[in-house]
Amino acid sequence: MSEPGATPTSTEAPSPCQRCASPLEPGDLRCAICGLPTPPSPRAQTPSEVVATIFRCSGCGAAMRYDEKAAAPKCSFCGEVLALEKPTDPIEQAGAYLRFRVDPEQAKVALRRWLGSLGFFRPKDLQGSAVVDKLQPLWWAGWCFDADVSVSWAADSDAGSRRSAWAPHAGAFELVLDNVVVSASRGLSDRECAALVPGYNLRDADPDPDPARHAAVEGFDVQRSAARATISRALSATAAEHAQTRVPGSSVRNLRVAVVPRRLTTSRLGFPAYVLAYRYRDEVYRAIVHGQNPGIVHGTAPLSWLRIVMVVVGAIAAIGLVATIVWAATR
Amino acid sequence: MQCGGCGAQIHIEAGLRTGKCPYCASPAVIERPPDPDRPEPSFALGFVVGKQRALELARAWIRRPLFAPGAFRRAQPSDVRGMYLPAYVYTAVASAEYNAEIGENYTVTETYTTTDAKGNTVTRTRTRVETEWRTLSGPWAAYVDDVVVSASKGLPDAELERIEPFDLRAMQRFEPAMLSGWIAEEPSITADGCMQRARSELEAQVGARLAKHMPGDRQRGLRFAWRAQHEDLELVVLPVWVLAVRYDDRLPPVRLVINGQSGKIGGRAPLSWTKIIVTIVAVLAAITVAVLAGSMR
Repeated sequence: MSEPGATPTSTEAPSPCQRCASPLEPGDLRCAICGLPTPPSPRAQTPSEVVATIFRCSGCGAAMRYDEKAAAPKCSFCGEVLALEKPTDPIEQAGAYLRFRVDPEQAKVALRRWLGSLGFFRPKDLQGSAVVDKLQPLWWAGWCFDADVSVSWAADSDAGSRRSAWAPHAGAFELVLDNVVVSASRGLSDRECAALVPGYNLRDADPDPDPARHAAVEGFDVQRSAARATISRALSATAAEHAQTRVPGSSVRNLRVAVVPRRLTTSRLGFPAYVLAYRYRDEVYRAIVHGQNPGIVHGTAPLSWLRIVMVVVGAIAAIGLVATIVWAATR
Repeated sequence: MQCGGCGAQIHIEAGLRTGKCPYCASPAVIERPPDPDRPEPSFALGFVVGKQRALELARAWIRRPLFAPGAFRRAQPSDVRGMYLPAYVYTAVASAEYNAEIGENYTVTETYTTTDAKGNTVTRTRTRVETEWRTLSGPWAAYVDDVVVSASKGLPDAELERIEPFDLRAMQRFEPAMLSGWIAEEPSITADGCMQRARSELEAQVGARLAKHMPGDRQRGLRFAWRAQHEDLELVVLPVWVLAVRYDDRLPPVRLVINGQSGKIGGRAPLSWTKIIVTIVAVLAAITVAVLAGSMR
């Protein structure tokens, strides 16, 4: 008879995967990238001869049986459950927060500058008449990954085409991906995040959010397994973007890629930004100002329909005038 | 073997890893010192579907096939046994060099002469889609994970495939205590034998994935040379419910296997030839009546 030996889940960071060299995380029983099992922790007790073991409850001594509801061996008398080493799937938490390098006043100035730079088709008084209703600093959630990827691709393109407009092509290349940011934000759209990403200095970070900023901290709200699936899709999409540039010709269709990622390292970050709501003539618009680079602003703004109509009418009048001149010259 | 509870002798059936003391009914699990000829499972997938639910699923499945004998559809099986099936999970990096003919469609406009409704000869144009076939060769590589092959002679791969997939993300590190109270079979097929079958399955998977990798509008003649690197084979135990449905004393029982994680059922329901012939005759009779009725109008 032996006492149940609970195998606690290790919290130490394990060695990288032996197949793909991607870092493993505590609680991983298999590599999330290539599926190779992690090395088992040594068993507490290994019998020296063949024995018939009855697993007994350490509380009441009754025999334990694996229970499907408890998903573990359970004592049917006192309900004690034997702990097993299971894969863990915690909610993602940011490991670092990029520092704010733009203060709220600079963010408002950046918004005005941006409103004045939007071109002729915006209202003339937009820059001066827009009133900032609300300014909310926040750290939006995102992942940043590095990976070495073997990419094999196949596609149709117009290069080498004969009777059909398309010809098949295939190839392979090695790709090194550095600091690819994938948004986990629910508050910001993918388009807004994509506009902000190029301006971040990923090394300018603190392990915890600075409370003096009074900024909202957006949570990831996804479990590790879902995060890995999102990152895996982003990796394939990024590989496809790179493959698109390798396909000869000017038109491409049916692009397929297969990837073998290695050394896939992911960090979970909070990215600083300001979300501003501004009002122009009783309509509310939204803009995002980068938290580290005030030159990057993305948002919505009103159009000047009067100016648009004037340009369209002017263009039609100019075409009509030219047509009249041509008609008169050819008579 | 001696019961660790009451000291009585426990009889463990050959090929099994678990038993029960006949006196104190304590469930026992055989533990052995490390032995390369008898590998210890690396992972175990626990039961999610309980016995009562497994019975309900089986009874619902039995009632479903319309052309099964009535005695089969009325059967009320009660002896369902939960057991851990030994299987191997194979993973590898697969790479291939392929060659295929890729069909690229194009449209041809042609003129032709025909006769219109008034009997005049007219010239018209029409378009037709043609396919230009081009040869494509290239490399391909990807991770192939979770190829599962049975390590039990009692439940071959074909039967296991009917109840797949298992969600292997839920696998737990194997502990002998997980088997306590359940029937657990020892592997009856060697790791080498399972490796060969896993590679065959890998080849089929590579072929299927390459077929999806091909561009073009059509494809034919896909050939490929493949190889597997960084192969890994892990023994796991999978939860299955097994029950035998007896419906005719003259015939062997029908075996049903239920995925203990998802509840998916695999089995072949017997056919009632009487029902099939009666149905065919009834359909033919209905067609005959319909034709006769039509001709009499």
